[in-house]
Amino acid sequence: MIVELGAFALILSLMLSVAQTGLSAVGGARRSPVLAGAGQGAAIATFVALLVSFAALIYAFVTSDFSVTNVATNSHTDKPMLYKVAGAWGSHEGSMLLWCVVLTGFGAAMAVFGDSLPPRLRAYAIAVQGALGVMFLAYTVLASNPLARLLEAPIEGKSLNPLLQDWALAFHPPFLYIGYVGFSVVYSLSMAALIEGRIDAAWARWIRPWTLAAWSMLTVGITLGAFWAYYELGWGGWWFWDPVENASFMPWLIGAALLHSAIVTERRGALPGWTAFLALAAYTFSMLGAFLVRSGVLTSVHAFAVDPTRGVLLLIMMGVAAGAGFLLFGLRAPSLNRGGQFRPISRESAIVLNNILLSTATAVVLLGTLYPLIREAMDGEAVSVGAPFFNLTFTPLMILAFAVLPAGPLLAWKRGDAKGVARKLWVVLALAALLGLIAYAVVQPRKALASGGLVVGFWLIGGALLEIAERLKLARAPFAESLRRARGLPRGAWGTTLAHAGLGVFVLGASFETAWRVEAAQALSLNGSQPLGAYTVTLTDVVTIEGPNYLAERGIITVTNKAGAEVCRAQPERRFYPTGAQTTSEVAICAKGLDDIYVVMGERRAGEGGKPAWLVRAYVNPWVRLIFLGPLLMAIGGIVSLSDRRVRLGVGRRTGEVVS
Amino acid sequence: MIAFWIAAAGLSVVTAGLVLRGAAQARAVDDAETRLEPHRRRLAEVERLALDGLLAEDELKAARAEAGRGLLAAADQAESWSRDGAGPRKAAVAAVGLTCASAVGLYLVLGYPGLPDQPFAKRVAAWRAADPATLEPAKIAAVLEGVAAERPNDPEPLVFMAKARAAAGDMAGAEQALRKAVRIAPKRADIWSLLGETFVIQAEGQVGPDAKLAFGQALKVDAADVRARYYLGRARIAEGEVAAGLSDWRGLLASLAPNAQGRESLAAEIAEVEASGKLPGPQPAAESANPEVQGMIAGMVDGLAQRLKQSPDDPDGWVRLVRAYAVLGETAKRDAALATASALFKDQPKVMSALRQAADTPAQAKTTNP
Repeated sequence: MIVELGAFALILSLMLSVAQTGLSAVGGARRSPVLAGAGQGAAIATFVALLVSFAALIYAFVTSDFSVTNVATNSHTDKPMLYKVAGAWGSHEGSMLLWCVVLTGFGAAMAVFGDSLPPRLRAYAIAVQGALGVMFLAYTVLASNPLARLLEAPIEGKSLNPLLQDWALAFHPPFLYIGYVGFSVVYSLSMAALIEGRIDAAWARWIRPWTLAAWSMLTVGITLGAFWAYYELGWGGWWFWDPVENASFMPWLIGAALLHSAIVTERRGALPGWTAFLALAAYTFSMLGAFLVRSGVLTSVHAFAVDPTRGVLLLIMMGVAAGAGFLLFGLRAPSLNRGGQFRPISRESAIVLNNILLSTATAVVLLGTLYPLIREAMDGEAVSVGAPFFNLTFTPLMILAFAVLPAGPLLAWKRGDAKGVARKLWVVLALAALLGLIAYAVVQPRKALASGGLVVGFWLIGGALLEIAERLKLARAPFAESLRRARGLPRGAWGTTLAHAGLGVFVLGASFETAWRVEAAQALSLNGSQPLGAYTVTLTDVVTIEGPNYLAERGIITVTNKAGAEVCRAQPERRFYPTGAQTTSEVAICAKGLDDIYVVMGERRAGEGGKPAWLVRAYVNPWVRLIFLGPLLMAIGGIVSLSDRRVRLGVGRRTGEVVS
Repeated sequence: MIAFWIAAAGLSVVTAGLVLRGAAQARAVDDAETRLEPHRRRLAEVERLALDGLLAEDELKAARAEAGRGLLAAADQAESWSRDGAGPRKAAVAAVGLTCASAVGLYLVLGYPGLPDQPFAKRVAAWRAADPATLEPAKIAAVLEGVAAERPNDPEPLVFMAKARAAAGDMAGAEQALRKAVRIAPKRADIWSLLGETFVIQAEGQVGPDAKLAFGQALKVDAADVRARYYLGRARIAEGEVAAGLSDWRGLLASLAPNAQGRESLAAEIAEVEASGKLPGPQPAAESANPEVQGMIAGMVDGLAQRLKQSPDDPDGWVRLVRAYAVLGETAKRDAALATASALFKDQPKVMSALRQAADTPAQAKTTNP
């Protein structure tokens, strides 16, 4: 009964979405509080019904109900409980349901927390959100139903890809989807404002919190994905410019541009058209990601199963949503108010430059992602676009953006003082250059480009710290005064500093790790060893172990330093999952401060003299932790900004709080 | 079914209530308030920053002017929403009714209101209560898994589970069960040699290092273990030690009772190796490794076929029968059953699709044994 109730709830939520769209649209057009209110109620009801449906799917996974096709295909009784639950969103069908849950959740959030929005804007936004819900729910119900049943349940399930049985990946999709789909609210609010013909400072203020929330969650989702790729795939890297990674990175870049341009629109009323354009683009890129991953046009480690029919449907949905958005934008853009004026040297101009660079970078990533597809469609030739292309195109754009970044927040609005800012920043530049030079001189082998990367990282961190120090008058006023200013400073300012410094931390990690990673790979027999930079890696033992749903060979690998002292006992595994007959590598990682010693063991083979041997690949990844810490700081920065009362919607009015 | 409809009605009422509550709470609003609010807050914020000394005088002036302009523009745009009459209320109620009715309608087309949940634990309990003779090997394995969990120190359920898994074609699962069993009972030569045989079957007849290790353990416990002696002899022949291997086999043959199972096939194999000087090619699919389980499957399928002859109105039963024949590789019987069932259920597309799916099930490879 529970599964069928879930199936019914899914259909009910589709119908409620239709009601949400109709009631809100008519309510908004006729200025009817009753109809608009009913539309809000429908938005909440849609979410509630969908939660019931999602809970039913999780129940089916937890109880291994193989009469549900999705469970039979993606689960197994031997699977650990966490991955049974995560299996609910590990498949194409389940992940689309999660997408719908988040989409309708944001619709409900607008209904519940949107009291400070003008009623017509809110009604239209809820109507647009409902229309997106109708599209995605209709697709889920009719073309990709996660609760579809089998007349005859198989005895056992077919299990989930063992690579996906991992905690980081269990939590990666929910964060990613909150990010992707969070941009739907921004899309809906933009559509609503375009229908009304009012894109102004107030509108920019309303989209800020949603943009911040979506972008922060997307940051966490992408970082978890990169972390998973790092320690689960066993290739030693963390970003591969894989099309699926790019699919999540493009909305992130556009989201970052939008965050900044929305500030200009909010503060100065300037760039309204551009901000609305980015708002539409952010969700379009999210949908493009969904399409690329699910359509089967891409082959990737994390793409879902190839299914062209579903791909075509998703493409149509993306076309309808993006088409409607940009058509409306095209009609309205000429009549939008141009907003406040500003000089070429001003905070606005700096943000415009940031936007140009981020948008160009997005276009580059888009080109690199789609080019193989275009090429294959044109002349059937399979080409791959990888790191060399992005290093030559994407990286210089980012370096340019990072070069001007610390100056942005120091410039005044409207008319900035370039010389004044340069006077403040030269110390930071000198310090960053000095640290880079030290790295060049000290770290072996000498690498000029990577040392330059470190300069950029230190420059970003230093710039962020200088900006906050300027605001606090640190060392220029008595400490008590600085402390008072720190308390008075809006959280948004702290958020900006954290995010910009986080970016610097990431650049440091990425530069250092990429340039100075040490790698060694050799087939080792028992007690065989190989050098790894300053360490020695010895295969001490190999034992057979039995996991809950796999058998494994576990290597006991001792890593010693030059003095012969043991610094790490790594235990990588080679796992065999009988269900599905798949073999995976479990990486062993020893954290040494910011560095990782990273060990992977290959399968058994015949070594010298017929003795068994195992290919042991080991890496020293220096400063690799910064690569994951940096984005985490950025996400925390976003959340800190989100907690700023200036961006919290409706709080002031609801609690009677007065902004002092 | 009734419980389902009650729950579905309950959910519909709750969601309908949420929509109607939204409509009932609607009030006349002055849009001006929401339009002006952001500008007022911006102004207040600017003043606060200035008071804290966080904003320079000229920045303050500019920000004030900006917020002021926004306030004026917003005031111009304000519009008011007055209270509704009865019309919109009726429309909201009608929309709710239509929504619920269309949801029920669409569900009746797409859903299976009478199909109960089938949690694995409940299905296993039902199989356990059923006559084992009527169960497929995979179901027997699932039941035995539960029994093994209840008796963690008893290797017997694990051994039977391994045999059932092997009969169901799940050799990796059989290996897993036997590994557990030898951990519980390391002094049981028969389990060691069964484990060894499982390795051999997985390696498509090759006696690899894992298998040799297992057979070695078996002989350590019981030097007379037939299975271990057979396979180790076979390994020697395969590795070129034909005379030594044959001598092992002859010794084994001599030790077997005249009516022992497999005696004849061993004698035939010895003769073949003597003639050709090497192991014969791919082993013929002789008798099953587990004749009792194999016999049970055949019995089950025959029983099902008989039952369906008597009471043919059982679509699930026909799907099962077609699948069973397909798995056993009995294509003629499969096609006959499919034809009979198709004639019976030609008007039921769901059943027809399940039947076709069942007929496409690949046949399982048979295991070999001396």
